[in-house]
Amino acid sequence: MLRKDLRILRRSPILLGLLVSYPVIIALLVGLVAGYANTKPRVGLVDEDNLPPIVEIAGQKFGVSKTIAEVAHNVKLVRMSKDDAEGQLRSGKIVGVITVPAGFIADLQTAVRSPSLIVETGTGGVTPRVQQQMQALVYQLNRKLQRAFIAANLRYVTLILNGGDGSFLGRGIHVLGLEGTQKLLASLPPSQRVARIQKFVRVARLALGQTGNALQATANPIRLEQRTSTGRTWVLSAQVQAYGIALTITFLALLLAAGSSAAERDENVIGRLGRGLLSHGQFVAAKVALASAVALALGGAIALVFGIVIEAGGVVGGEPWERFPLLLAGIALAGAAVGAIGTLVGALAREARTASLIAVLVVLPVVFLGLVPREVVAAAGWISDALPFVHAVRYFGSALYDPSPWATLGRETVWLVGLCAVFSGLARLGVRRLAG
Amino acid sequence: MTLLRALGVARRYGTITALAPTDFELAEGESVALVGPNGAGKSTLLAILAGALEPSEGTVERREGLRVGWVPQQPAHYGRLTARENLELFARLEGERRPRAAADRLLERFALPDDGRPSAELSVGNRQRLNVALSLLGSPDVLLLDEPTASLDPGQRRRLWERIAGGTICFATQNLDEVEHFADRVVVLRDGEVVFAGTPREYEESELEVFH
Repeated sequence: MLRKDLRILRRSPILLGLLVSYPVIIALLVGLVAGYANTKPRVGLVDEDNLPPIVEIAGQKFGVSKTIAEVAHNVKLVRMSKDDAEGQLRSGKIVGVITVPAGFIADLQTAVRSPSLIVETGTGGVTPRVQQQMQALVYQLNRKLQRAFIAANLRYVTLILNGGDGSFLGRGIHVLGLEGTQKLLASLPPSQRVARIQKFVRVARLALGQTGNALQATANPIRLEQRTSTGRTWVLSAQVQAYGIALTITFLALLLAAGSSAAERDENVIGRLGRGLLSHGQFVAAKVALASAVALALGGAIALVFGIVIEAGGVVGGEPWERFPLLLAGIALAGAAVGAIGTLVGALAREARTASLIAVLVVLPVVFLGLVPREVVAAAGWISDALPFVHAVRYFGSALYDPSPWATLGRETVWLVGLCAVFSGLARLGVRRLAG
Repeated sequence: MTLLRALGVARRYGTITALAPTDFELAEGESVALVGPNGAGKSTLLAILAGALEPSEGTVERREGLRVGWVPQQPAHYGRLTARENLELFARLEGERRPRAAADRLLERFALPDDGRPSAELSVGNRQRLNVALSLLGSPDVLLLDEPTASLDPGQRRRLWERIAGGTICFATQNLDEVEHFADRVVVLRDGEVVFAGTPREYEESELEVFH
């Protein structure tokens, strides 16, 4: 029966092409949607302070556009009027508005009080994410300004230490400095009072010499060191490989098993087979084996392409080829478990076109339930536990990149075998209906 | 000697009765015609006798080791496989020791094309001959045929009967010529119930109005 089904499949190039290309296209679309989720949200920038192109703060010049580009890593800031911003925020074209109020730069330059930036967000589901990104933006801006203020403060400290000319609040000043004071004291006749002042100056010079480090440490009690890895890009990450393969074989195995099972009735052959030539259990086993074999061929090919691309791209770590047999075993097992569901669908639908339609209707929730994080909707996690997709994803991810995969592989294998057995049992009952 | 016996077999689909409780016997060497209009229950009775359909009630008794060949009304084979591939596949499932030789034999006996064309592309007559040929795999002791000649022209009907007549058979038909020429006994079904059982001569003499 398996050989017959494979032969029929080979003689249906359009069907085979659709079965292969459709899940691959869906996987790509899901990837694009996931990629879109990572794109920068648009945020309106309302400038009520008429920001000049160059701003001088704490003696340091800042190009406004350049600074905005440097601090706005995760959002796309778009300058607009207040009215435009309100309108676009209401219509959802922008996810937030950041307003620079009048007097902002003046307050920054005098450093008498902290100026405020006003952030307004919508009430949609992305609000927490936008708020985080706004906080990150202000944090980046504060860090830049902090560095400028620390540098300015250190210049004053240096002036106090070494003496010389400087400016404060725009006015020129001349400072004798501790070094000058020490020289002046040395020229005075020695006395107990002069000695006490000299001691103070020495201690003050030592203490002020450490001011730079102390200011840096106070400003950043904990420093975050960021290093850029040269590992896998997002597209080639283990998780994407696991999702891509699982999604593809879920589509393929479910549709194939459902269509193939129902086609036996369409061909009017089910009665002939049911006369003791093939038991219901053997019928289900043949369809499960078909789904498993085709999933193995396509899933294996996809994994192979991933591996070759990773190797060709010189990605650090490379493809773990020694784990490939483990991955193939998982693909075959997952294909069988999904095939059992497909056979059940085909048996209940009783007609190939209906079965294919129902299979598509079933496969989308199966896949998307597996994509919903358990932390977001707990019920989605419980339901997807009863379906093979999420177990396939965990198995593939672990088989490919877990340093110690055996516990996960063992657990997911038990799940997949159990689900295959349960759905095969249900499919066996369904085949009675198909034959009746 | 009775090869096949149905005791009170019936088939219901929800509230619809396709076949009321029916008794039926088929003796060795006998040729029985099941006659009746569309929907009379002929196909249902044959499918139950063949083991292709579970009766809702009643039982079917078969002589131990009896092999039954069944020709369903609609051709039952894989359209994307050739006639040879269909014959070899079902020969394997029937437990033929040499499936290829069995396929060769039936291809020749039924003059079926062996040119690599999928069976869906064969003529109606060829498809029906393949349908009948498949039922002969496994050397059946009894042949159950559901209107095997319904879609054939007179020449094709004659040639088909030449190939299948002679053994123990039970066939459904609406063609009274076939009853006259090939049946030893006639069972008439109407609305799922047996309304007549006797010889062709008795049937003819009864002047029973089977087809309205």
